[in-house]
Amino acid sequence: MSLMTINLKVWRQKNTETPGKFEDYKLDGVSEHMSFLEMLDVLNENLIKEGKDPVEFDYDCREGICGSCNMVINGRAHGPKHKTAACQLHMRTYNDGDTIVIEPPRAAAFPIIKDLVVDRSAFDRIIEAGGYISVKTGAAPEANLIPVPQDTSNEAFDYATCIGCGGCVAACPNSSAALFTGAKIAHLNSLPQGQPERDKRTVAMVDQMAKEGFGDCSNYAECEAVCPVGISISSIAAMRRDYIKAIF
Amino acid sequence: MKLDPKIPSGPLAEKWTKHRNDIHLLSPNNKRKHKVIVVGTGLAGASAAASLSELGYSVEVFSILDSPRRAHSIAAQGGINAAKNYQNDGDSVWRLFYDTIKGGDYRSREANVYRLAEVSNYIIDQAVAQGVPFGREYGGLLDNRSFGGAQVSRTFYSRGQTGQQLLLGAYQAMMKEVHSGRVKMYNRHEMLDLVLVDGKARGIITRDLVKGTVHRFEADAVILCTGGYGNVFYLSTNAKNSNATAAWRCHKRGAVFANPCFVQIHPTCIPVSGDYQSKLTLMSESLRNDGRVWVPRNKDEKRHPNDIPEEDRYYYLEERYPSFGNLVPRDVASRSAKMVCDEGLGVGDTGLAVYLDFRDAIKRDSKEVIEAKYGNLFDMYQNITDDNPYEMPMRIFPAVHYTMGGLWVDYNLMSNIPGLFVAGEANFSDHGANRLGASALMQGLSDGYFIVPYTVGNYIADVDLPKVNTEHEAFAEAEDSSKKIMDKLLAVKGNKTVIEFHRELGKIMWDKVGISRSKEGLESAIEEIRALRDEFWENVNVPGDANYYNKYLEFAYRVADYFELAELMAIDALDRGESCGCHLRDEYQTEEGEALRNDKEYAFVSAYEFLGVNGKLETKLHKEKLEFEFVELKQRSYK
Amino acid sequence: MPSLIEAFQSQVGRKVLTGLTGFLLVFFIIFHLAGNLAIFGEPDAMNSYSQFLHDLGPLLWVARIGLLLIFVIHAYIGISIWINKRKARPQQYKVYSSKGGPSRQGLSSRSMAFTGVVLLIFVVAHINTFALGDMDTVLIDGRETHDVKTLVLDTFQNPIYAFGYTIVMILLGAHLGHGIWSAFTSLTLRSKKASATIYTIGVVVAVLLAVGFLFIPLYIYFGGGCDAALIHCN
Repeated sequence: MSLMTINLKVWRQKNTETPGKFEDYKLDGVSEHMSFLEMLDVLNENLIKEGKDPVEFDYDCREGICGSCNMVINGRAHGPKHKTAACQLHMRTYNDGDTIVIEPPRAAAFPIIKDLVVDRSAFDRIIEAGGYISVKTGAAPEANLIPVPQDTSNEAFDYATCIGCGGCVAACPNSSAALFTGAKIAHLNSLPQGQPERDKRTVAMVDQMAKEGFGDCSNYAECEAVCPVGISISSIAAMRRDYIKAIF
Repeated sequence: MKLDPKIPSGPLAEKWTKHRNDIHLLSPNNKRKHKVIVVGTGLAGASAAASLSELGYSVEVFSILDSPRRAHSIAAQGGINAAKNYQNDGDSVWRLFYDTIKGGDYRSREANVYRLAEVSNYIIDQAVAQGVPFGREYGGLLDNRSFGGAQVSRTFYSRGQTGQQLLLGAYQAMMKEVHSGRVKMYNRHEMLDLVLVDGKARGIITRDLVKGTVHRFEADAVILCTGGYGNVFYLSTNAKNSNATAAWRCHKRGAVFANPCFVQIHPTCIPVSGDYQSKLTLMSESLRNDGRVWVPRNKDEKRHPNDIPEEDRYYYLEERYPSFGNLVPRDVASRSAKMVCDEGLGVGDTGLAVYLDFRDAIKRDSKEVIEAKYGNLFDMYQNITDDNPYEMPMRIFPAVHYTMGGLWVDYNLMSNIPGLFVAGEANFSDHGANRLGASALMQGLSDGYFIVPYTVGNYIADVDLPKVNTEHEAFAEAEDSSKKIMDKLLAVKGNKTVIEFHRELGKIMWDKVGISRSKEGLESAIEEIRALRDEFWENVNVPGDANYYNKYLEFAYRVADYFELAELMAIDALDRGESCGCHLRDEYQTEEGEALRNDKEYAFVSAYEFLGVNGKLETKLHKEKLEFEFVELKQRSYK
Repeated sequence: MPSLIEAFQSQVGRKVLTGLTGFLLVFFIIFHLAGNLAIFGEPDAMNSYSQFLHDLGPLLWVARIGLLLIFVIHAYIGISIWINKRKARPQQYKVYSSKGGPSRQGLSSRSMAFTGVVLLIFVVAHINTFALGDMDTVLIDGRETHDVKTLVLDTFQNPIYAFGYTIVMILLGAHLGHGIWSAFTSLTLRSKKASATIYTIGVVVAVLLAVGFLFIPLYIYFGGGCDAALIHCN
């Protein structure tokens, strides 16, 4: 097993109010089998032993599904690999002596809490605005009462698979949340169950997205490129279609 | 203390209906005046919060993560069981009940398990109405797959992301209620203690993980939905933040802890690659349908697996279990893998892995067929290990996956502390000594959507709940004790990091309280846990302070609690002088090496009362006898 | 539900308007190029075309005002998107790069604001030069009309105009390279396959338009106006 030395340039910021800066670290003994986050764990163990403040970053499941991790690695959200969350990135992607720059997702709507940790509650508020089907517990009809064509169901799933990491916002040159919002709108609006609230949902979520301070979508499609689950920008087009339908 | 499970009388199939009819109700305008706290936003928590809010209660919800949508229910892959009988293959509520109770090796309550099977169908209705995109047939109706431990196809699925889709459904239902104003959501808040006033659960103490501040919240009832404690083992398939602190602190306030030793170990996970390893990734068991499990026959084998000839390969499952072969149940497969590795036959850099080989299947069926069946799993494996499983055998090893044990609850899912309800993996209730696949999602949602909303209402309607406010001395005392723990940890300033301690604790647990357990092993584990715990409190190095975002402080108090819980797990494993489900005691096996259950002496729930920690964990065992009125107890065999 | 005015101020409404106005401007540009190519026709072709337009009378004003409105809306939204983008990310990345793959990020898409502003300034100058500039008159069908053709030929003898126009037309091509496909996406094109095809078509159209426009000044400059082989003067 070959061990590498990696040079890190990590954004350090004490809290939302205090301006941050980059710190350089040299990390020896990095195994190619380590995940990117495990490499940061090792860095933190070293920092703690040196009596320094460890680097804070968000993570939970470490298997690419919870959407907690979201960092910008050498200028790319979640690092260089397509359809891969940062937690699923491995150090074998890098070479001995490489320098890696790690920054938090930068967006006014995602204030930095500490170092690489940001507040993504704006996403929750977009869902709160209308990202649901209003069905009370116990009031649901028999599950097979409304057949849903397999293609429709598959399409809905493709949009529903969003992990809410915010990589799309991080990578978008405009810091737009159109992919996140579009994915939920496209998921619910494509199903028969989602029709009664379709117009209301679409308008409310689009409005909330702007209120949170995300930028406009300019169709860069960079969001699709960085999305760990590969959600297509066709969801954004679907959001626009339903918005137009709603207002006319 | 007398543990009364409060099981309603009458025939099994009528108990829940009868109970619901007997339950006391609150009028809508009275519900508004009552506040319920829900801790955790996984399937159980999110669904309970949404449902209670719909009924009209004021609900306050707490999540340790930055969004409720990230709770670890999200990682469940396979599916969710329900007794819909859409396949016309003879399924029924009774069969789902029977499979679950048998799968749990007859260590769960009949009445609870029956109710679980009974409400399973409503969960599917509810999820579909919420827009959960389950797999469908060409005709547009719902599809099912078959899963381990059942002879019918009753598992509903959303590709390999069923947990994600169900959780998002429950999360969205809850966000709808946040919008209505009846649910107040607190993200990045961790519950540190339970507050008891006049013996009833009347509030909690939390820590705002961003600011580091400690807060008091009062309520009429508290529902704990904080998941399992698999992370005691350090390495597990659990998420990094999954922890037992909220449950353990409730235990220390008097809630009894049931069956702590029942831990499920999943046989097909990607093995540990080095000391830095932070978690284990599960791969679907379905791989064993076509893969052959083997290790080299010789301890000093140095050859590449592809160069090892047939006569030097030890297909240990096929040799030892000729009729089931590679398809033995989870516990048997896990145990055998550990056994061959203990003999020094394990493979890989660490020697803690066995081969899962698709060479013969590819030769028989072609690469295309195998790719169509397992392509995504092979890709995932290759991404993590950088080995190509089409060209060389996979390396797999068992990993801790789910904990059947948890806080003791009665039929109403209320603990022995009035007003403290426990739902989902956090309680002990439905899976006995072993959980069947696709049953965890079912239980979490059944508890949250369909049980707790009724039983909490009944409690509030029934009990006198004088107004309390957070100025009450009980709140002050609990807040103070939570702060003291943090201050004490921060004051140590020792030489070993929290992670180092946790890893050492995990190793003791894995080696001695893991796949198989023995009297000697457990006794020495208890000694080692105590010694390590003492060292922890003298030599742990927790960075920074408590007044800001400090992940390592969170880890520190969680690990401090694991140290106590770990000892309880070992004590329980030592006390349970039988093998059942996932609990295998070396001393209690049949001549063929199979688990030997002892229904005469051990058909009970072990429920532990916390007495104190004084060098050693002081605890008192209460036994809830399990009555089997409706099923006959049988011994499993897979030879 | 929001009113139409409110709806078109939303992020989606604005983008739809950008796409719609963008489309109309592309149609205008195509007609404009067709008119420009009249310079290679009969000696009087270009001035006849100019006369035809002037003969439209009030209709021409309707078209002019309509076009101005479309242009202003397109530019206004474009600039406000750019301002919004600065607000949405006050602190820039130290390192930033595209991940490639399905990304449509490139020189063309990244420079929309820049090329847009250049085009805005250009249009003002362009109108000043060719619509409001001093022109002689010629007789077409016995009637006096502006001698646009001579103005064009004279103007592009000047290297500053000839090369300035060329550069701007390259920027126009860049703007449309992303713009045409983007307009389709903004107007809710969803199919992945169609999207890829339209992207290619968009780039081809953008290149053709740019080459069509920049060919004229360069040809006039290097060909020496009326001396050039393809240009017929009286």
